[in-house]
Amino acid sequence: MGRRGHYLIGAPWIYLLHLEPELGVVPERKGTIWYPFHGWEKHSVSGDHARLADEIRNVETGPVTVCLYWLEFANPDIRRAYESRGFRVTCHGERGSRWEGKGRDFLRKQLVQLRRHRRVASNRLGSALFYGASVGCEVAVYGDPMQFEDERPEYGGTARRMRLWPELHGTHVDTELASEVARRELGFEYQATPEELRRMFGWKRGART
Amino acid sequence: METGGAHVITGEAPENVRLIGGEMLLWSDMSNMGGITDWRGTALELVGRLVPDSGRVLLVGPHPQVLVDDVVARAPSAAVLLRSYPDACALGERHPGLAVFCGRLEVFAAEQPYDLVLALDGLLRTHSAEASAAAWSESLAALAELVAPGGRLVLGVRNDLGVDRFLEARPADREGADDQWAPHGFDPSYPSGPEALDRGLESAGLRVRRCYAAYPGRQAPRALLSREALAADLPDALTFPLSARGGDRMLVADPLRLTRLVFRHGLGEELAPLWLAVATAASDDDDHVELPLGLVEEGSALYELTAGGARRLPDGEELPIPAGRVVEEILVEACAREDVRTVRELLARLAEWLEAGGDVTAATDSLVYDGERFAAISPAAEPSTPPGPKVVLCRILWRFAVRLLAAGHHHPWPWPLEADQLALTLCGMADRPCDQGDLDRARKLDVELGCPAEVAEHAPTYRDLLGARDRLADQLTAALARISRLETKLSYRERELVRAKAKLRRTQRKASAFRRTLGYRLSRRLARPGKVARKVIRLLSG
Repeated sequence: MGRRGHYLIGAPWIYLLHLEPELGVVPERKGTIWYPFHGWEKHSVSGDHARLADEIRNVETGPVTVCLYWLEFANPDIRRAYESRGFRVTCHGERGSRWEGKGRDFLRKQLVQLRRHRRVASNRLGSALFYGASVGCEVAVYGDPMQFEDERPEYGGTARRMRLWPELHGTHVDTELASEVARRELGFEYQATPEELRRMFGWKRGART
Repeated sequence: METGGAHVITGEAPENVRLIGGEMLLWSDMSNMGGITDWRGTALELVGRLVPDSGRVLLVGPHPQVLVDDVVARAPSAAVLLRSYPDACALGERHPGLAVFCGRLEVFAAEQPYDLVLALDGLLRTHSAEASAAAWSESLAALAELVAPGGRLVLGVRNDLGVDRFLEARPADREGADDQWAPHGFDPSYPSGPEALDRGLESAGLRVRRCYAAYPGRQAPRALLSREALAADLPDALTFPLSARGGDRMLVADPLRLTRLVFRHGLGEELAPLWLAVATAASDDDDHVELPLGLVEEGSALYELTAGGARRLPDGEELPIPAGRVVEEILVEACAREDVRTVRELLARLAEWLEAGGDVTAATDSLVYDGERFAAISPAAEPSTPPGPKVVLCRILWRFAVRLLAAGHHHPWPWPLEADQLALTLCGMADRPCDQGDLDRARKLDVELGCPAEVAEHAPTYRDLLGARDRLADQLTAALARISRLETKLSYRERELVRAKAKLRRTQRKASAFRRTLGYRLSRRLARPGKVARKVIRLLSG
């Protein structure tokens, strides 16, 4: 990748898929899981959730699960905007951080939800869509992309994402293409072997192995 | 130099030794074998094909014993011309039937010319210290006169701009040794390149039949590649092994890297350490000896290069030379790019190949990979007890790790600092985790297979030393910066601590002063009415 001092091992997600090939698999996948673009602990997002919810209702035909970040989930107004249109509203919990052990099951919960749904959608192309595409969801990106307060322009904003992945935007996206892009973006080809990780991080062999 | 002095004193030269003038009585070229090219299988094969069934053969200048013995055994009539008297006596004793002439080339007047003249050592050791040194062209003219019409000449010529000259930190001809009474390098007639060599031979009345470039070095050539073969794009499997680390000599650069560049740039002929020209004194094409396109020695095996591949001598079948890149080079490139994905994939495939019955003697430096399959460059003898594929893989990767670190290549793994740790990581990347026990077995296997990866006497090359010095300087700068940063932090913390202690002391002093005040003591009493009450009751009751 042309950068020194880095060691490529791919996203944690690929290791979860490797460890949990069956977790959350259901016989029939239904509906859409929708991830509205969210703020985080230091910045909130400004946008009209009611209008977005209307747009979702116009596009989606099956049952819709809206998954909110815990900050937005805690806001009754935002929840109501989606619940009032008959959507199921859920949350994967807190993400945790380096300093606190919360959110350990975040990705696991997300995997279970993604494997239950047929489609994954958002108003901004984000990790959730790549995760979804990697487990066979159809992908869609539509609706107002909303704005971060003080969004940093050096990351290029929405225009950059449109430039990089124009093919992944729209209400219907080629599934194979999306899955291919997801494989690339999540770095499936860079998956390290268990022994390699063990040596890299200096882990001792556990009693279980 | 004193070797064979007994002959001089007693004057008992063997009968077959004839002194012709210009002989060096107190001088031996053979005592300094380091200076004489150690011709082995390739030269023996080439000369063997040229020795006529009936005819006279002359060896001019010092040649290794094996070669002399071989020629004497094959040729119906052989003679040797040497300048050193002790060498001539020693040779005369060993081969009583051989005519040994001792003296200068220029004064040698042969009764009859020879059908084959061999001067593999070149012309520099054919004149004596007593006469002024002859120019190369003069010596060649004298040599050419010895070749009978239709006869052949095999002449070795050291290339003054060979790849070995770029490699050696201390070239032998700059050491000013005794044999350099006429320093080499000032003779304008000495060939300055392949074309000049051709011209020189032609002006001596000879016609070049084929000119070979000898690799990897002039001490011990293992390959003779003809100009025609070098003009074609030679496969890596052939050119990769043609680089040599010469014993304990101090080198300027890694010979492997430079020799690879020589071939990649198509300069194999121009930068050969040594040329071997086969010429005839015939004017027309009546010489029908089939000269090989190339001869390559690999261990004890000898291969002849053919238009379609190579065939093992004496009677092997012609097989194509495996195509593809050398595995070590693919890995070194991937490591330099920090492309761990390629490393992982290639190692996993290598492991699969070994598990499917791949060559147990393989190593990354003796395997080529064409994107689909692996092929051994030179299959070696298998060990007595075939080891498991895991140990074989472990040995290959350990050997690669040793070579990677020794050559000072960049690699992406920051955590292992030594070859053992790196080898275990590489095994892990191939998804075949190995432990220390496997590694020990792998090391034993490497020793058993010969040509071990770790060669202790290799002095590091000058460039490696410079690289190591620069790395150390960088690390030292970084370490000093870290120390100074930590010192600043430490003195800041130290000050903070002193300040905090002073504050603590002040507070304690204030607190004890406060405790001594009447008001405080009274309030303490009052604050504990229970205790006071008990005291009063005790007083009253007591």
